[in-house]
Amino acid sequence: MRFTSRNFVLLCCILTFLSITARSQDKKLITGNFSGFSFAQLVNEAEKQTGMRFYYNAAETDSLRINISANGITLSALLDQVLKNTGLQYAINPRGEVFISLRFAIQTDLPPGFFVRSIKNKDSASVPVIPLAEENKPKEKLKNSVENKLFEIGIKGSDPNKTSSTIAGYIRDVKNGEAITGASVYVDSPAIGVISDQFGYYSVTLPKGRHSLQVSSAGMKDTRRQVLLQADGKLDIEMETFVPSLKTVVITAEKKSNVRSLQMGLERLSIKSIKQVPVVLGEADILRVILTLPGVTSVGEASTGFNVRGGSSDQNLILFNDATIYNPSHLFGFFSSFNPDVVKNVELYKSAIPEKYGGRLSSVLDVSSRDGNNKKISGSGGIGPLTSKLVIEGPLAKEKTTFIIGGRTTYSNWILKTIPNESYNNSRASFYDANLHINHAINNKNNLYLTGYMSGDKFKLNNDTLYQYNNRNINLKWKHNFSNKFYGVLTGGFDNYQYAVSADQNKVNAFKLDFDIKQVYLRADFSYSAGNKHNFNFGINSIRYALKPGAFQPVGSQSLVTPDEVQAEQALESAVYFGDKYSITPKLSVNGGIRFSLFNYLGPHDVYSYIPGLPRDKNSLIDTIVYAKGKSIKNYLGPEYRLTLRYSLTDNSSVKISYNTLRQYIHLLSNTAAISPTDVWKLSDPNIKPQLGDQFSLGYYRNFKSNTIETSLEVYYKRLKNFLDYKSGATIIMNKQIETAIITTRGKAYGAELLIKKLSGKVNGWFSYTWSRTLLQQDDPIAGELINEGKYYPANYDKPHNVNLVSNYKFSHRYSLSLNVVYNTGRPVTLPIAIFNLGGAQRVLYSDRNAYRIPDYFRTDLSINIEGNHKIKKLAHSSWSFGVYNILARQNAFSVYFVQQNAVIKGYKLSIFGTAIPYVTYNFKF
Amino acid sequence: MKKYNQYFLIFILLAQVVACVKPYEPAPVKADNNYLVVDGLINASPNSETTVTLSRTKNLGDTVLFHPELNAAVFIEAENGGNYILQQKPNGIYSISNLTLNNNEKYRLKIFTTDGREHVSDYVPVKISPPVDSVTWRQDGDVTVYVHSHDAANNTKYYRWEYKETWEYHSPYETDMYVRNRYIYFADSNFQVYKCWDSAYSSDIVTKSTINLSQDVVSNHPVAVVPKNSAKIGVRYSVLVKQYAITEEAHQFWEILKKNTEQLGTLFDPQPSQLKGNIKCISNPSEPVIGFVSASSVSEKRIFIDSSEVKDWVAYQSGSICQTITIGLNASDYRIFDFPDTNYSPYYFVTGGMVLLKVPCLICTTRGGTNFKPSYWR
Repeated sequence: MRFTSRNFVLLCCILTFLSITARSQDKKLITGNFSGFSFAQLVNEAEKQTGMRFYYNAAETDSLRINISANGITLSALLDQVLKNTGLQYAINPRGEVFISLRFAIQTDLPPGFFVRSIKNKDSASVPVIPLAEENKPKEKLKNSVENKLFEIGIKGSDPNKTSSTIAGYIRDVKNGEAITGASVYVDSPAIGVISDQFGYYSVTLPKGRHSLQVSSAGMKDTRRQVLLQADGKLDIEMETFVPSLKTVVITAEKKSNVRSLQMGLERLSIKSIKQVPVVLGEADILRVILTLPGVTSVGEASTGFNVRGGSSDQNLILFNDATIYNPSHLFGFFSSFNPDVVKNVELYKSAIPEKYGGRLSSVLDVSSRDGNNKKISGSGGIGPLTSKLVIEGPLAKEKTTFIIGGRTTYSNWILKTIPNESYNNSRASFYDANLHINHAINNKNNLYLTGYMSGDKFKLNNDTLYQYNNRNINLKWKHNFSNKFYGVLTGGFDNYQYAVSADQNKVNAFKLDFDIKQVYLRADFSYSAGNKHNFNFGINSIRYALKPGAFQPVGSQSLVTPDEVQAEQALESAVYFGDKYSITPKLSVNGGIRFSLFNYLGPHDVYSYIPGLPRDKNSLIDTIVYAKGKSIKNYLGPEYRLTLRYSLTDNSSVKISYNTLRQYIHLLSNTAAISPTDVWKLSDPNIKPQLGDQFSLGYYRNFKSNTIETSLEVYYKRLKNFLDYKSGATIIMNKQIETAIITTRGKAYGAELLIKKLSGKVNGWFSYTWSRTLLQQDDPIAGELINEGKYYPANYDKPHNVNLVSNYKFSHRYSLSLNVVYNTGRPVTLPIAIFNLGGAQRVLYSDRNAYRIPDYFRTDLSINIEGNHKIKKLAHSSWSFGVYNILARQNAFSVYFVQQNAVIKGYKLSIFGTAIPYVTYNFKF
Repeated sequence: MKKYNQYFLIFILLAQVVACVKPYEPAPVKADNNYLVVDGLINASPNSETTVTLSRTKNLGDTVLFHPELNAAVFIEAENGGNYILQQKPNGIYSISNLTLNNNEKYRLKIFTTDGREHVSDYVPVKISPPVDSVTWRQDGDVTVYVHSHDAANNTKYYRWEYKETWEYHSPYETDMYVRNRYIYFADSNFQVYKCWDSAYSSDIVTKSTINLSQDVVSNHPVAVVPKNSAKIGVRYSVLVKQYAITEEAHQFWEILKKNTEQLGTLFDPQPSQLKGNIKCISNPSEPVIGFVSASSVSEKRIFIDSSEVKDWVAYQSGSICQTITIGLNASDYRIFDFPDTNYSPYYFVTGGMVLLKVPCLICTTRGGTNFKPSYWR
């Protein structure tokens, strides 16, 4: 009789409850000459003689040839001989059933010590234990039995020379099999902790013997596993979603990860906490929630970029499953281009950026998608005032392959048409985004992940200029576990961002302007944990850039526009890195890393050279050097250092210090306050040096109230070099000598950030306060003009005081109330200081750059979230969200400006969301 | 290519009720802002007049319209020697006529102000403006006036236009009487009060670069806009478009000035830039001088638009409600107008009396224009 691996799990579950000893059945003796038998024939014979039933996998045994003759021996003695050195194990239960399995014997009774708290030494004949899955049991029972059960890891004595062994495995959500990132697994004695990686994979090395693994993750119920560690082995852990009880609960969660982890300046948010935050127009939005974190600001309410610790918005590396997203927003920043139903969690690195990442100075925003439900096909969706979305997910091959596919679109075109105004009627605005993620487990050791992403925006104003932009990304990841301690991920992919502007109203000037950036990349990342003292990360990666900085084309036969093209740019950015997380003592650990990056600017390209020491302009142009295809034009290379140190002061407090250096070779050219869709990306070249940055930060972390409240205080000081600013009135679009429009500046940023966070309980959320400054100074000796006479001036996004409160109160399982409060100092602005008459009208003379500030910003949002009833048998589970954005209807200034109207100068304040905006959203799951 | 700054509208249309623009009056910005402003062009056309207006900048809260800079000494200097002094006229205007400039020479402006400071501009080349090919207009609700020009030699590349609008308008009621020194006079063909002409100079900066076109052609470039139902096309409207050829640097100066004042307000607008002209104060180099001096010939073209040519145009006239009142005649002399309310003027006689209307209903000059017909009017 045969069984498949699917039945195997189920069978094991039943067997767990049988506790009669197996030996009694093993009485009947077997006789015969079995030479030349196949295993199946032997089984036939044995079944006849003993009346026992065999269960085995034919695939595992069909290569076995028997060469034994038995004369009245027991079945166990027979099997001992037959299976010797085959790797196969057997087990016999009291019912007379024989199970043959590879590597581990089936456990036919509960481990000794199951009902006894202490563990006794077992005799040598006892069968090793394997972890069991428990999906078919009632939940409460599951939790209790799994948490109290002892898992024996590894075969005893298989590795007698070592005193410690490694447990590794995946941490998943019990409901849908989704990998849980950032869950912490630790033991108290010795104090050792690890964090699961983006695949939900963890690996921890412990002294052999008995341990209690504490497992916790934001939004999940804490759980623990009793293990008896005999040798290296695997233990997958499933966690349940945290559902707050109506009754008062005493939470004794072990949420020490912030204090314990070595990582500094990392903000990790699960999509659950993101979805609780009320947002404009009811669409859960990752970037808007990111903006409530300490150290993150933006120029204004509806702007595309965000600024981390004084960095500009192009200094953020935005990754979606390792694909670089160049424009992360729709409709100028009204929405971020990540579908919240597809996203699993978001990590923002602000200070200690892991050596694995590079290429941007300020931060890494790592957005990862869910893998998809591996138990059943399910879906979710939402209907909002402007957008609708749908996500379908499920297994393709049970527990082996899962997929998740999502899409989102808008119907703003329809709304525009209904507005009774001609210029709105003739305008168009639409966007979409689509995601596909496939996760395939080839076997225990190999996993494949495929990610595809697409987003697009299109808008047209009053029948005139049409703007469109698109992101397209695809990548394939192969994860291979070499052993419990060592794994590698190979990733290859392609990213593309492009935009186009076109106008055809005026036939003579009809044009189309295209911009395009493509990158192909390959990276290999490895992680090796050598005991618990060291965890090595190393790898190599390379990105090939191809930019088309602008192609200006005539449209139609009447157009007199000369086709014009800014030369394409090519470059190769490569890096190798090595890092070690070293626990010197249980209290002191250090993470040291070095990354060596090399940037090659490649031909074909014509490079202009200028008279040294003179301002770069047409007059100082002396030569043009033509480089052939593939020729290396300019190399920049240098090391980047990453260092973090953690010292635990007490069980629930620690101090961390970090120092980082970074290099950036690609720059966004923009002389507008907010990122506009027509901004141009530019690679470093012989005339434009890479931006360099370094940051020193110091933090104190402390948890209160049984670790349910996390607090942290971080201070930082950051320097930027070769930061780009622009000459007055510089033209960036279609500028073939962009270096003549650019001046380099030096920047410094410093600040202090306080964060108080409570992610569980009836009241949850966070409060943050940031004090920070960002100052720039033009130190380019050959700029030709000096901004503010070469003194330090505040950057556009310099907002010294920043207060955010994000809170949620759960009345019951079904009703919750969310409240947001945001306050920050107004951003700097250049104000008019005098009026003069020129060219027939009054005009304005402006102050020094950013010498004044717009009024302070203050906003309160409120929303009520209602979950549908929790009946299990329902067609679809739905939820409603009613909210009001800016409930106090404060007219916060996005910008102030002065215009000349009828020959008089008037000042105006522009508020984008100048009134309370109510919204309703309907979300469903099936 | 210049329309990148329009997207602001989208915000309003997506969240029509939510975006709002409110007047904003910041605390008065105090600054030592008494800077010299030079507005003028060295006119290289033969038999023309070059005028330069000198003024001083003022605070935002300053209610005085204009601070002219008086009694300055203003010269045009040639690079290879030779200078011409400009004559002072009222209101900070300095001018010189019948200047003959050498088109291959470079010129500059030199100004000595009464505070003893000396200011000079860079030497600028003389640019020759090609003729204006035509000036056309189209009605699309508003009336937009377009200019067309070309330079067959492909030399001009950068253009700047100014224009002067003139329009004829009529009083709501026609009369042949007007009052001067309490006496009633009768209008004749030399002096009438029914038809008037008013003018306005351009207040926007209009420039164009053809650098990205294969030929130096300006086609359909909008210059002036007359808003729908404007009184300017109540009877007949005329616009004189003046075209200058400018240098690339001048073009950049006007573009920055335009960006700083006319276009600000949209979300993706560039930050206001520091305005850098080509005039320096050599007595005090840190003191900014505002303005850009160019030298160019001027080509011009005039067109007329008749009210009968525009569609659905109801010329809006502001002013008093025209309600007649009737009074008795002066007993001693009917020509003596001694009605105590000087807001009224005689309309016509009736038996034993006189019908009056408010002055703006009858006397067109009270609405700002002149009743002398311009020589070019047709």
